[in-house]
Amino acid sequence: MTEPAVIVDHVSKRFKLYKERNQTLKSAVMRRRKSVADEFWAVKDVSFEVPKGSTFGLIGRNGSGKSTLLKCLARILHPDEGSITMNGKAASLLEVGSGFHPELTGRENIYLNGSILGLAKKDITARLDEIIDFSGVGQFIDQPVKNYSSGMYVRLGFSVAIHVKPDILVVDEVLAVGDGAFKKKSREKFREFTNSGRTVILVTHSLAQVREMCDQVAWLNKGELQAVGPAKTVTKQYQEYLDAQDG
Amino acid sequence: MSYVKELAATRELLANLTIREVKGQYRRTFLGQLWSLINPLATMLVYTLVFLFLLRFEPPPGDPSGVEGYPLWLMCAMLPWTFFTRVVNGGLTSVVSNANLIKKVYFPRMHLPLAVMASTAVTWSLELSVLAIVLMLFGAMPIPFIPVIIVFMALLALFAVGLAMMLAILNVHFRDTQHFTGIVLQMWMFLTPIIYPLEFVERRAEQVGQWVLDLYRLNPMERFVAVFRNLLYDNRLPAWDDSIYCLAAALIVFLLGYLTFSRNEKRLAELL
Repeated sequence: MTEPAVIVDHVSKRFKLYKERNQTLKSAVMRRRKSVADEFWAVKDVSFEVPKGSTFGLIGRNGSGKSTLLKCLARILHPDEGSITMNGKAASLLEVGSGFHPELTGRENIYLNGSILGLAKKDITARLDEIIDFSGVGQFIDQPVKNYSSGMYVRLGFSVAIHVKPDILVVDEVLAVGDGAFKKKSREKFREFTNSGRTVILVTHSLAQVREMCDQVAWLNKGELQAVGPAKTVTKQYQEYLDAQDG
Repeated sequence: MSYVKELAATRELLANLTIREVKGQYRRTFLGQLWSLINPLATMLVYTLVFLFLLRFEPPPGDPSGVEGYPLWLMCAMLPWTFFTRVVNGGLTSVVSNANLIKKVYFPRMHLPLAVMASTAVTWSLELSVLAIVLMLFGAMPIPFIPVIIVFMALLALFAVGLAMMLAILNVHFRDTQHFTGIVLQMWMFLTPIIYPLEFVERRAEQVGQWVLDLYRLNPMERFVAVFRNLLYDNRLPAWDDSIYCLAAALIVFLLGYLTFSRNEKRLAELL
C-alpha cells in the first residue's frame, strides 16, 4: 500500500450563527462586545484517506457539509478540530476565474491567476501556448477580460487551473463549464491528470458524474461521515437512501 | 517562521498582485500614469496659494543646499505623507475588497496589503524622482543621498504597512474602521509639520510650556517628515535621534502588524 495523498484525521468545523453580530463599533459598545451566537457543527469528526492517483468524490445532500469540508481541504477554512495532511503540492479550483482583473488582458490574467494558484512565472510561460490553446479564446487573448463572454471567461479560468498540474487538485463542480465540446475536452484532461499519478478530489451533485469519474467516494450526511469506499458501493447506498427519503 | 517561508516561496504572487494594482489603476484613463503626478501637483498648488500668498509664509532656505521656495519645501514632506496615507487607506481595505478572492483560493493573505504597499511605492518613487529633478534645477544636489533616502523609504513603507495590517484585521470585524481612519489621517496630517514648519509649534511651546512640544514630537511621522526634508531639501544627513526614532517606530509597528495579521489570517475567509 502506497502512502495516501491526503489524510483527513477527525476533522470538525464549527460555525457561529450570529443572531446579532457586532459588525459595527456601535453595536459592539452597546452590547459590551458580546455577540449573540449559536454554534453549528458543519463537519463533525470526519476521517478518511485519499489514495494517491485516485479521483475521490464527496457526495451528500445540500447542507451536508461537503462544501465546508472541501474548503478545509483547499485551506480556505481551517478545521477547529483534527487535521488534514497533504502529501504533495495542492491547488484548489472552487470558482473559475476568481482573481481575474477585468481591466487586464487575458494574457496578463493568466500570469496573475497562475501565480495565485501557486505556479511560478517560468512554468506559466512554458505552458502559455497550451493554456491559450485549451481555452479556445484564440485572438481575444490580448483583449481585456471584461470584454469576454461569460463562456470565454470561465474557459480561460478553467484552462489556467488545470494547467497548474498540482499533485492534488481540489475541485468544486466546475466540470459544468462551457459547451459540450469543452466539457468533453476537460473530462479528458482530468483523466490524463489522474493517469499521471495525480489526485483529484471533487464535490458534485451529479451521481452519474461520480460513477463515471470517481474511484472512491465519501458520503456525508449532516456533517457526519456516512460511508466511504469504492464509488460503486457508496453511490448505490446513497441512491437507496435518496429513494427512501423521497419515497 | 514558517509563515515567512511561505511568503517568500510565493513572492511571485506578490509581484503579480503589485503589477495588477499598478496596471489596473490607470487603465482606460487618457493620461494614464501621469495622474499620479497630477494629484500631488494639485495639492501643491492649493497649499502654495494659501501659504505663500495668503499667509505670506516663506520657509528658510535649505541648509546647506540653499534651495528656496515654499512649493519645493512643501513637496519634500508632502510626498512621504501621501505615500503613507495611500498605503494605510489601501492596505486597510485590501482584505475586505478582495473578499471574493479570499473565499475562493488559498494564498498567504498578507500579500494583499503588501501588494498595496509595493504598488504605492512604485508611484512614490516616480514622484520622488520628478521632485529630485526639479530640486536639482533649483540648485539642490540630492543624488549623493539616494542610498539613505532609499533606506528611509523602506522604513516608512514598513511603518505604513504595519499600521495598515492591524487596521485591515480590525476592518474585517468593524467596517467603521475605514471611515474612522479617514478622519484620523486628516487630523494627523495637520498635527505633523508638513504644510507649516516645526518652528510654529516651538514658538507656541515657549509660551505654553515645553510639554506641548514633547507631546507633539511623539508622532513618528514628524520624525519621518523631518528626515525626508533634511535629505531632499537641505541635502544633509538626518539627526541621529530622528533616525533612531524612525527605525524603532517602523520596526515596532511592522512587527505588531505582522503578528496581528498572521494570527488572524486563518479565520479571514469565514469572517468576511
